[in-house]
Amino acid sequence: MKQMLTIGWLYPELMSIYGDRGNVICLQKRCELRGIETKVLLVGLQTTEKELSSCDILLMGGAQDSQQTIVAKDLEKKKKTLSSLIESGVPGIYICGAFQFLGKYYKEADGTIVNGLGIFDLYTENPGNNFPRLIGNMAFDASGILGTAAPMIGFENHGGRTYLGLGVKPLGKVIKGFGNNGEDGTEGSVYKNSIGTYSHGPILPKNPPIADFLIQEALKKKYKQEFVLSKLDDTIAEKAKQTILDRILQ
Amino acid sequence: MNTLLIFLGKLVMFISRLIGKGSGSTWPGHIALSVNPFFISEITQKNPHVKIILIAGTNGKTTTSKMIATVLEKSGKSIIQNKSGANLLNGVASSFIESSTVFGKINKDVAVFEIDENTLPLVLEQTKPTIVIALNLFRDQLDRYGELDSIAKKWKKVFSMLNHNTTVVLNADDPQIAFLGDKLHAKTVYFGLDEKGETASHLQHASDSIYCPNCHNRLEYKKIYYSHIGIWNCPFCKLKRPNIESIKTIYPLPGMYNKYNTLASVLAIKQLDIPENIVQDAIATVTPAFGRQEKITINGKTVQIFLAKNPASFNQTMQTIADLGAKYVAFVLNDRIPDGRDVSWIWDIDLEKFLPQFTSVFISGDRVYDMELRVWYAGRDTNVYAFASLADAIWNALENLPEKETLYILPTYSAMLEVRKIITGKKIL
Repeated sequence: MKQMLTIGWLYPELMSIYGDRGNVICLQKRCELRGIETKVLLVGLQTTEKELSSCDILLMGGAQDSQQTIVAKDLEKKKKTLSSLIESGVPGIYICGAFQFLGKYYKEADGTIVNGLGIFDLYTENPGNNFPRLIGNMAFDASGILGTAAPMIGFENHGGRTYLGLGVKPLGKVIKGFGNNGEDGTEGSVYKNSIGTYSHGPILPKNPPIADFLIQEALKKKYKQEFVLSKLDDTIAEKAKQTILDRILQ
Repeated sequence: MNTLLIFLGKLVMFISRLIGKGSGSTWPGHIALSVNPFFISEITQKNPHVKIILIAGTNGKTTTSKMIATVLEKSGKSIIQNKSGANLLNGVASSFIESSTVFGKINKDVAVFEIDENTLPLVLEQTKPTIVIALNLFRDQLDRYGELDSIAKKWKKVFSMLNHNTTVVLNADDPQIAFLGDKLHAKTVYFGLDEKGETASHLQHASDSIYCPNCHNRLEYKKIYYSHIGIWNCPFCKLKRPNIESIKTIYPLPGMYNKYNTLASVLAIKQLDIPENIVQDAIATVTPAFGRQEKITINGKTVQIFLAKNPASFNQTMQTIADLGAKYVAFVLNDRIPDGRDVSWIWDIDLEKFLPQFTSVFISGDRVYDMELRVWYAGRDTNVYAFASLADAIWNALENLPEKETLYILPTYSAMLEVRKIITGKKIL
């Protein structure tokens, strides 16, 4: 029997500022090369909760402020469905603005509190314009989650500082760069099979183990059996990663 | 004081030319501004006869400046121009230093400046321009510029402070740019395209401003030319693409984006009362600015360089070279400060659509493997040649280029300078 996965891309028009389409392209191609069919559902303001519930993998990227406001309004309506998908173990990756959204709240520089979806046990604070945005190439160790010792890489660009609660694990330890807040050495978070991260770039094509983690967990959940994904030739991704590691780990 | 600064600046220019260092177009201004932050304001007040034209926008600044400068020169005006890329305050100050006497007197008619997006508000605070042109706003170098909305907001604020002595020339087809003209004291004119025939039926992926700049609801499009550029309206607050000036012109350069650059130039020049026949004769002679569709012949083979620095410019460039029948292409991706250090934007370009028609694809640059990975994920894995060394990439590509074919090179900004240096053997800027 041929497997089929529905990839739910949340707000491609609104939350897709850092090449997030690359993550979708990556998942599609890595499935296709293994004979797994994919369907991409573009989740937007018109998408029903029923359609959203059909997703096997979820993806959501970052956005500009005014567009985040539009999304925040819509997410209120979809919150219950999204939350139950995440709680039931549907794998997903939530990057930058999306990562912040899934937390408890975002505290703006002037003290205003913007409530998040409260699905991840974490909160974010923006310390204001006197503190620099955290921008640059980064590397982190996600061996605890992915089981591979090789460092992961990405590019981060965020003003908010995120602090994890006890209910989530970090995705990894920062080797170089800032990560969640530039202080505690953590990068991203993992809750059930959902990953939050500040690393874009986009993250999946540059870090095939994370892409394969999502695909594998999605298959396992949907077909209720273990899957071993065939190995793909990731030579180019390795070279791209090495270029950055050589530069930032000197 | 300014006399000393101008003298010092001219000395720096002289020395940098003498020793062949290419920093003469920013350093003199940098020094002057660090001693006197009001240098630009003072020198322009001292020379009110010099009309100032400012050109801003993510894409097309250099080409538009060149078009305007060409027409002005052909109509007998003497001009000041900043060097391409020297488009921050220090570049503007340097141009004034270069063209003024030691006593701060400038014997020129018009100053034509291309201005960086973040610098435009600073220049508007210090000058009283005759014309300000806003071409477009696309996502570009988010690590440096920040978000599009915040640039648009800053522009709107400074534009609202301009008075009726300034004419603002706006692109009606870019919603955020068009909205800048809402409730201005300055005279406002709009250019836009009225193309007949087929246009894109749906938005390209790299479409940035498709939500209403006024009420934030989703815009509707009657026509889409590229990215978020087209004939738009907001079904909610009824904001719509403003009426455009009727402009008859020839288009000297290929590519839809160059039609916009031409329309902006012609409409701006129209404000200066130059006879139409002179304008059209001059526009017809415009050749590409360096690195923008620039053709170079080397060892009997033709190379054409198309600066491709963000998703909108890359997509438009690919469409243009596809229309020209391109078969041999080279992508050069750098991630230095002028390129933007974040290369994630290459995943927003529509490579999938264009790759099948290219016979060979050469790849190089600081981030050669990121681009190779992008090409691989776009489904192309044959006749793709990646080289860590840019010189190797260029010479290999040229060696394999059949006679009568053209090698189309698409570099980011710093890569474009490097490509030119390798091909022409000399350094620019």
